[in-house]
Amino acid sequence: MTRPDGRSPHDIRPITAEFDDLARVDGSARFGFGSTPSALASFTGPIEVRLAAENPSRLSLDVVVRPLSGIPGTREKKTGSVLGSVLKQSLVMEANPRTAVVLVVQSLTDEGSLASMINASTMACMASASVPMRGVVCAVDVGMTDDDFIVDPSPEEKQHTSASGCFAFHIQGLQRVECIWTNWTGSGFDEQELLQARTIARESVINVWKTLKETVARREKLPLEAEDEMEI
Amino acid sequence: MRPPSPSIPEKEFVFDALKHSLRLDGRLPLEMRTPALSFGTELGCVECSLGKTRVLANIDAKMVKPTPERPFEGMLSIHSEISPMAASEYEIGRPSEEEVTITRMLDKVLRRSDALDKESLCIIAGQRVWHLRLTLHFLADAGNLLDCACMAGIVALKHFRRPEVEVVGDEVTVHPPTERAPVPLAIHHTPFCISFAFFPDPSTQPVIDPSLLEQRLSAGLMSVALNAQRELCVVQKLGGVPLAPDDLLAYINVAVAKAKELDVIVEEALKKDWSGRHVEVR
Repeated sequence: MTRPDGRSPHDIRPITAEFDDLARVDGSARFGFGSTPSALASFTGPIEVRLAAENPSRLSLDVVVRPLSGIPGTREKKTGSVLGSVLKQSLVMEANPRTAVVLVVQSLTDEGSLASMINASTMACMASASVPMRGVVCAVDVGMTDDDFIVDPSPEEKQHTSASGCFAFHIQGLQRVECIWTNWTGSGFDEQELLQARTIARESVINVWKTLKETVARREKLPLEAEDEMEI
Repeated sequence: MRPPSPSIPEKEFVFDALKHSLRLDGRLPLEMRTPALSFGTELGCVECSLGKTRVLANIDAKMVKPTPERPFEGMLSIHSEISPMAASEYEIGRPSEEEVTITRMLDKVLRRSDALDKESLCIIAGQRVWHLRLTLHFLADAGNLLDCACMAGIVALKHFRRPEVEVVGDEVTVHPPTERAPVPLAIHHTPFCISFAFFPDPSTQPVIDPSLLEQRLSAGLMSVALNAQRELCVVQKLGGVPLAPDDLLAYINVAVAKAKELDVIVEEALKKDWSGRHVEVR
């Protein structure tokens, strides 16, 4: 099955991932599936925490999601809580008790892509390198059409899918890729198809992970280790 | 989180240097950081940076019913909330002094100065007008967010193209960009905001486009909004530093020269971006 832009069903668009170097935050990065970034994330912390949010045994994570136009509303609040719960699986919250960490995610497109936001947030956390992380959280979108599953559907393709969703994975090396979250919704799918979508997402997310690794290696001017070429 | 006040050595060093007309980043006292404009794929989306200070502006438009008091005019609403991305001292929901100043200034410079012709946004009088929404995102605060924001706002307005609308009687047809080329907004003039920072020692010359440290250590700030045609829009002076009328006029002349420079830079950037966009003529 050929897609409108010539990709094969399980191909993702070429990724744009760059570290931003915003002046007043600890780490910032942009991420997008395609030639333009669709999410900009910034990470600052650990910093002083408001008395009300202070937690004696772990750090408090504040996520702010801002849409490109207008004022943030309920949808942004929901996206913020999803991002928080997904990243908490990786961030070691107990390492910095009684402090706060602020993650701000700015959407750079009208539709907003949750997968891009998750990836940008991970990159921002890595860029700031101030809170220890257990692994890297990467995400990718999958859609289900009559013929096949397609990975990273464009906005036009999404309209023709009967079900779609974003899968987030916690990756601790090629041998440990675990699905930690999904928002798969649609009509007319069964459990088998959901598991199939997840398996396909799992294979694609490795490419996202590799791209992030290359981006970090380039920035830190480190050589990539040969062991990454091992099979899953 | 409150911003930490500058340390005493920093304060003394900056004041001493300024006495000798030296700035920490090597600029001359009346030298602005060179603005850089980067346009997004959508029309009306621009990221403006003055050195490390960065502001992203985005415009979108929708058709609404006008208010009964002004049935012939479109509307422009400006959203400018500072998020913790600009600096961790800003919190959502609690407008800082800086945010209030910026909101008020943007309102005066972009709306009340009539830079945008609101009557040209009317589609059917009393029934349908364009409601433009300018959203400003403050990405990094390295001093002088105000000038950066005003520039991003006016450049976004100049960059934006609204869909062409055909009105036949009472029927309105909105042509998508693929059918008919979108139409630029009617901008009367291009106002720029130029800020001066004054310091406690009256013998120290003010500086233009203060950096973060200079802004924190300043005793007063004066912002002048004007266009390249020497028309003043806004003069705002905060802080209470005494200023003689002759000096004020001299500084406004300096601001005029800066506005002309900025106008050239902005026009060039817009032209370059427009020539790079694929415009198909059938």
